[in-house]
Amino acid sequence: MHELSIAQSIVDSAREHAALNGGRRVLRIGVRVGEISGVAVEALEFCFGMTVKDTDLDGAALDLERIPVRYRCAACAHEFRPVEFLADCPACGFTGASMIAGDELGLSFLELE
Amino acid sequence: MPERVEVRQSVLKENDRIAGELRQALAGRQTLCLNLVSSPGAGKTSILEGTLDALRQTSVRAAVVTGDIQTERDADRLRRYGFPALQITTGGTCHLDASMVERSLKELPPGGLDILFIENVGNLVCPASYDLGEDAKVVVLSVPEGDDKPLKYPGIFRRARLMLLHKIDLLPYTRFNRDAAIADARRVNPEIEVVETSCLAEPGLGAWLRWIEKRLADKRQTGRPARA
Repeated sequence: MHELSIAQSIVDSAREHAALNGGRRVLRIGVRVGEISGVAVEALEFCFGMTVKDTDLDGAALDLERIPVRYRCAACAHEFRPVEFLADCPACGFTGASMIAGDELGLSFLELE
Repeated sequence: MPERVEVRQSVLKENDRIAGELRQALAGRQTLCLNLVSSPGAGKTSILEGTLDALRQTSVRAAVVTGDIQTERDADRLRRYGFPALQITTGGTCHLDASMVERSLKELPPGGLDILFIENVGNLVCPASYDLGEDAKVVVLSVPEGDDKPLKYPGIFRRARLMLLHKIDLLPYTRFNRDAAIADARRVNPEIEVVETSCLAEPGLGAWLRWIEKRLADKRQTGRPARA
């Protein structure tokens, strides 16, 4: 249950960027949440609402994009969604792939008034 | 007209900034920093007690920062071995963040330090997200928890450099499948190293102590711990 600290970090970063852009009001915040980032999306939405309530960001929308885990095969470069993290490439059968997505937790955009 | 501004940065930018400073400060002092993460009750504090007990027979200078939601109990246990042990009481927060560690380190007595252990709050989820400036995260998986944890909590196994398969002496009394646990950990993290430990019976903590010794030597030589 660290979503409250995550929500606070998102709000702090959004404020910082809004200030850099002439102090405009923040309408929407885009966040990429990887499948194994350890963040529960519903809890983050709830905590975000609590964090912005009665502040300058009250009413700002949180746009959460869930990023599924993806692997890239080390032999044929095929990209695939693994089943239970198995690195067996469905295209060429090679066992050995690296994770290219799924553990990120990042801001992606802000929509400013 | 609303304007969309692209922003590419980690949500935990501020934490990562402080962690970066910590990492640099620790590197400057040639201090190896290990961040121990596990479920509650897996054995982090007992492992550290055994480790400190062994290290006091050597010239290694160690210190521990230990995080808990409540109580000073862990620091009290760890202080018995003659090394500084600082308690961070998070008051409800389920993980340590870099600023808590930074504040705590200011209380450490001055002087050289070869190794800093950070004992995280017992939790396999939240601590995975937070960089504390450590050289390596060490995840402790104890046998009674079950062999399914690497696939259930992939985030921490993905980010750990070493997995301690702990309470390994209990293997004959459980259905824990050691090979499956190791194979699953390597599915999420092909590079993860594995060491088996027990505080009460064979094989003891010897392999873990040797792992630390190697990392200390690497840190002294290169400024950062190389892979085994």
